[in-house]
Amino acid sequence: MSDEIRAASYDALVIGGGIAGGEAALDLANNGYKVLLVEKDLSIGGKMILLSKVFPTLDCAACITTPKVSEISRHPGITVFTGAEVTSIEKKGEREFETAVTKRPRYVVEEDCTACQLCEEVCPVVVHDEYQYRLVGRKAAFIPFSIASPRVAAIDIENCTLCGACEKACPPKCIDFTQETEKYIIKTGTVIVATGFKLFDPLKIPRYGYGVYKNVLTSMEMERQLAPTRPFNTILRPGDGKMPDRIAYVLCTGSRDDTIGNPVCSQICCMYSLKQAQLLMGALPMADVTIYYINIRSFGKGFEEFYEQAKGMGISFVKGKVGKITETETGNLILRYEDINENRVMEEEHDMVVLAVGVLPNTDPLSFFRNGELKADQFSFVDQAEVLSSPARTSVKGVFVAGTASGPMDIPDSILSAGAASSEAISYLKQ
Amino acid sequence: METEKGKTFRYLREKREVSQDAKDRLREFNRAKKEILGALKEKDMTVNELGKKLDRPGHEIMFYLMTLVKYGSVEAGDIDDMDEYFSYKLKK
Repeated sequence: MSDEIRAASYDALVIGGGIAGGEAALDLANNGYKVLLVEKDLSIGGKMILLSKVFPTLDCAACITTPKVSEISRHPGITVFTGAEVTSIEKKGEREFETAVTKRPRYVVEEDCTACQLCEEVCPVVVHDEYQYRLVGRKAAFIPFSIASPRVAAIDIENCTLCGACEKACPPKCIDFTQETEKYIIKTGTVIVATGFKLFDPLKIPRYGYGVYKNVLTSMEMERQLAPTRPFNTILRPGDGKMPDRIAYVLCTGSRDDTIGNPVCSQICCMYSLKQAQLLMGALPMADVTIYYINIRSFGKGFEEFYEQAKGMGISFVKGKVGKITETETGNLILRYEDINENRVMEEEHDMVVLAVGVLPNTDPLSFFRNGELKADQFSFVDQAEVLSSPARTSVKGVFVAGTASGPMDIPDSILSAGAASSEAISYLKQ
Repeated sequence: METEKGKTFRYLREKREVSQDAKDRLREFNRAKKEILGALKEKDMTVNELGKKLDRPGHEIMFYLMTLVKYGSVEAGDIDDMDEYFSYKLKK
């Protein structure tokens, strides 16, 4: 690591390059403010850029996200740090924040990379592709995904064998193993926290068999299977490559469940499951899709109609909580569930099970301020100090929250929340 | 220490050791690749058929096979009469 600490100043710091952070950065920059956007991943776009389509319109997620991330990347008022993390923030005074940022080496000179992927072609190392949720492999020299922004290669140094093949193959000679971790002290007038959410890890519910039964997937794994840049040639079971006929969705996996410590409704699982079920009916016209639910919460604009549309397409709905999943010799899965309407315990066999995993807080931002000034709410999301009158405000004056960092919400609400945060930040800067 | 453009990997090789995990993963992938490509040279096969022939679990075959499809060594062929399993073949 280099000992040198670089200094820079901007009007605003936006932490998190997902859809909320990106929107907030664009709003600020379009109003003439200089913005630094810090993203810990290798690409901006967050979780949305990896989705197949969005509910309830079934618009292509990438078609909405790609122009947005492209605008962010090209905007002269926005500087983007990818592969970078905030380690601490100190409020020195009003409109005076000092933030320590660490930027990991990419081992590729971003400005020179042409995304030709020749490095990827010759790299001999294959590891699980985290952007395809481990369903397929990627190389140690790789472009994160086809619509990544920046579309620049990176070297996964933990898995690299330092064979040098990528460097020899690179036409512009932009691979540089001499790069080191860079440290920055950033001065800004305001901070927007848009650090998003974490997905529930279904390994915490062993009775569902995730990780043991290979045909039990999470909803994000199914999301990737449904996306145009999917890991397989069609929808297939990861356990044996079978095209599934009978697919089950288990809603509220890790939401509304005190036993795993998350009593909160994730607000998006019902709707994304309805969306995926409809897309599956399109991709596999002969398939039977069954959704096991406690309540269908279709509360937003156009959501109830979307639910009715799903029923009209022939998707089955069973009101009941799934207690246990077991596997047969053929890799099929038997769901044991309580049918609430029939008032009895029943069993049903499916080819594939999708766990609609819930939204959990990302608690990283709570540690940014050394003295715990940034407060959390009772569920560990960033606390909204004045939730009714000024929902973007946090416990620290001048620090605002955008998107799912403050609680579960869908994409339109995240974008609205980002608008509120950027407006509040501008007001604060102008005071 | 070597820092000439195009040969900087030598610089890092002096500074850090390649982990045993990374070496093991490389060896395992090469072994699986050789086995799968060898089996498909004989005839087109489904994931289950490859699993039986190579004595590997289906999910392992899926991971390596789909990676070989992604990087262009293998392609999907026909689906069986029950519309359940694709066969896979070497890409010519």
